[in-house]
Amino acid sequence: MTVPRLVVEEVSVRFGGLAAVDRVSLAIAPGEIRGLIGPNGAGKTTLFNAVAGLVYASAGRILLDGTDITRLPPHRRAHAGVRRSFQSVQLLGRLNVLENVLLGLHQSMARGMLASAADVLLRARREALAQTAAMQTLDYLGIADLALRPVAALSFAQQRYVEIARALAPRPRLLMLDEPAAGLSPAEVARMDGLLRQLRNEGMSILLVEHVLSLVFEVSDSISVLNNGRLISGGTPQAVAADPAVQAAYLGDEYNALT
Amino acid sequence: MTPATLIVAGLANGSIYALVALALVLIYKTQDVINFGQGEILMVGGFVGYSVLEYTHVPYPLALLAAVVAGGALGAAIERTALRRVAEQHHITLAMVTVGFSVLIKGVARLPFGSDIYTFPAVLSSAPVSIAGAEMSPQSLITVAVALVVALLLFLFFRLTPAGKQMQATQQNLTGARIVGINPGRVFSMTWALAAAIGALTGVLAAPLALLYPDMGSDFLLKGFAAAVLGGLESVPGAMVGGFIVGIIEMLFGGYISTSAQQISSFIVIIAVLLIRPYGLFGRRPVHRV
Amino acid sequence: MRRRILALLPWLALCAVPLLTNGYSQYIINLILVNVTVITGLNFLLGYAGQFSFSHAALMGIGAYTAALLSARVGISFWIGLPLAGVASAAIGLLAAISAMRLKRVYLALVTVAFAELLVWVLNNWRAVTLGTDGVNLPVPSLFGWDVDGDKRVFYVVLACTATMWWLARRILESHIGRAFIAIRENEILAQCNGINVPLTKSLVFAMSAFYAGIGGALFALVLGFIVPASFGLLTLVTQFSAVVLGGPLNLAGGAIGALLLTALPEVLRDFQGLQEVIYGVVLIVCVVVMPGGIAGLLQHLGVLPAEALARHWRRLPTPAAPPSAADGTP
Repeated sequence: MTVPRLVVEEVSVRFGGLAAVDRVSLAIAPGEIRGLIGPNGAGKTTLFNAVAGLVYASAGRILLDGTDITRLPPHRRAHAGVRRSFQSVQLLGRLNVLENVLLGLHQSMARGMLASAADVLLRARREALAQTAAMQTLDYLGIADLALRPVAALSFAQQRYVEIARALAPRPRLLMLDEPAAGLSPAEVARMDGLLRQLRNEGMSILLVEHVLSLVFEVSDSISVLNNGRLISGGTPQAVAADPAVQAAYLGDEYNALT
Repeated sequence: MTPATLIVAGLANGSIYALVALALVLIYKTQDVINFGQGEILMVGGFVGYSVLEYTHVPYPLALLAAVVAGGALGAAIERTALRRVAEQHHITLAMVTVGFSVLIKGVARLPFGSDIYTFPAVLSSAPVSIAGAEMSPQSLITVAVALVVALLLFLFFRLTPAGKQMQATQQNLTGARIVGINPGRVFSMTWALAAAIGALTGVLAAPLALLYPDMGSDFLLKGFAAAVLGGLESVPGAMVGGFIVGIIEMLFGGYISTSAQQISSFIVIIAVLLIRPYGLFGRRPVHRV
Repeated sequence: MRRRILALLPWLALCAVPLLTNGYSQYIINLILVNVTVITGLNFLLGYAGQFSFSHAALMGIGAYTAALLSARVGISFWIGLPLAGVASAAIGLLAAISAMRLKRVYLALVTVAFAELLVWVLNNWRAVTLGTDGVNLPVPSLFGWDVDGDKRVFYVVLACTATMWWLARRILESHIGRAFIAIRENEILAQCNGINVPLTKSLVFAMSAFYAGIGGALFALVLGFIVPASFGLLTLVTQFSAVVLGGPLNLAGGAIGALLLTALPEVLRDFQGLQEVIYGVVLIVCVVVMPGGIAGLLQHLGVLPAEALARHWRRLPTPAAPPSAADGTP
């Protein structure tokens, strides 16, 4: 039995008296796409942020490949292999595409203060290696020709891809995508679908928060459903869609209309 | 000097610092900007009042009014010409603009007035009044009274009037304020005009108690900062309380340590407050959204 | 290789300057070079990392006084005092960094103003050590018997130091560290999520910026020969801000342009402080509102300077090799 890539164990996140996330448990295997859905205000974003480290769990544990990361600050979780994209694309407007992707590879160049300083001053070998890795990632995503363009000049879908490239370049163990399909055309969503499958087939674990239900139900290996901070359902897309609790929460007619 | 004398003197000075802090809080509450030019606006008020009195010999209240109006106009002009254009940019940009105005105004003031020191004629008779065994000049007494009145009016303004609520709404959420029909431009203009008017008023009140010279602004600004930070940058009552405390601390430093230590009392307050309790006595921790 | 030679040329050309100058213009040029170092340091902090710290001029003073006092009162050679000046300023600059960790935005500005004023007060009032407003004379330093006597000899020392600091700045700003600074300026949360240790990086930029201020301060003492606390107060700080803003933040060349333009001004207008202030005020306001990229930004827009300061070395794009291997989580 393999160690799960991510384990969320009885995690609660409280703000004052309010539990935005209430004793949620889930586990993601290596090479699995997990969809995380729920109505607005269900706690998806909070749970997402708790795993990424932007918010600390008030109770419970979070394990990455068996290692407890519950109390690690965000930059240490990034080192451990948790990388995320943001709902509203967060790129550095003053830099070009390549430089933005290089931001994701910061750790590979910054490891060990003295070694890093020596490298910067003398041979800059790490930077060269990082640039190669960044170009590889851009090539993989099919946007290598955009490498030197300023990000402000890109279309929205292209910016999305740059954001994903930045998260992907350091070969994360867990890729967390926050509504990657929002604002994309159907053709672009289909392309995103293909990309996620390809990553999964190569062994990447992906946690996907998404409102574009067609994508989530198509691409996820399994889905977790939150409502009012609690996990109300989980399992294969078919099982979740048929679950009356989920239908009651918000799906209902929408999904039936899709099938 | 007895502690009572020190404290009373501290209250007198502190009311000036409180007024500076009030203006700073006013702008910060509305626009999330620290006005680094507030000291120079105070200086302008002092010099306008002085010039009007010197050269036209009108009664004091008119000179005061002239200074206040000049201040208000200056504030509105600053907002309209420069700040309006950068209102939604990085906070460094906004701060830089206010620093620019601070230097500009100081330079312009230096052209007619040089680097000389002027004395503002005392307005009231100098027979001191006795309070709790210590003496306070009528000028100081008026200053304290004015400070309290202004603070009270501002407090009520924010709490009760629609305009005051609009100002707060604009600070909390610019887009949201627009959506509900608030015109941010007008709100900002009003805020700056009001804050500058208070600043000019403060200058006229401070001038008889202190010395009048183009560089005087930075001193008052730093003490105003100390007061505002101590009270909590978004709190009107805090600015008041902070001002008095800073004034008293300054006098205590001077009385019990040394006169040169007096100069750094406000710096120590700023550093201490920001390291120990950045949100001040009456401030609250802001909420961050991811 | 050719690029490196091209980069060296301006510096080599500068070596010929003393052949063309008289005493006073040489002095001004020395001052400009000193300010290039100082402004570059401020550019790190304000332009790249977006930390609004008012302590730069005071830290320059710390450096100047460290070098001058060590030489004049303790007898330690200027050549040792120079790096020590940088280290002393960096150490004190780190104190400011401590508050930067916890404080955001305006609070940082306020605490650094107070800190700067406190430092200047110490320089003015700790008469036993700093000699207060009397000022400190820097004895003429000597390098293996070669006395650094006179503006032309000072020029070579200052040129060598400034060139070294410039090179250092380029290496750092064009590396992942420079990107980290920009990330901190634009979006701290994003920086954290990409593995950047924000408090550590902030400490680094404060320390580096202060180091530059300190070295610049020591060189300032060398150029002037005599220093007083008044040189390191708010007016100097405003001049420095103006230089960064005018030249162009986020741009190394911008810092140099700003230093060039705003060094001569206090000298030329020494008796007209009011006019100086008016000019700085106008520069700050106009540049910030209308020309946020400064002169360097304008030159980039016009195509005179390369389009992206950081991407200047993208002459050959790295080519991707084989497709990436399976994402098995190895970093």
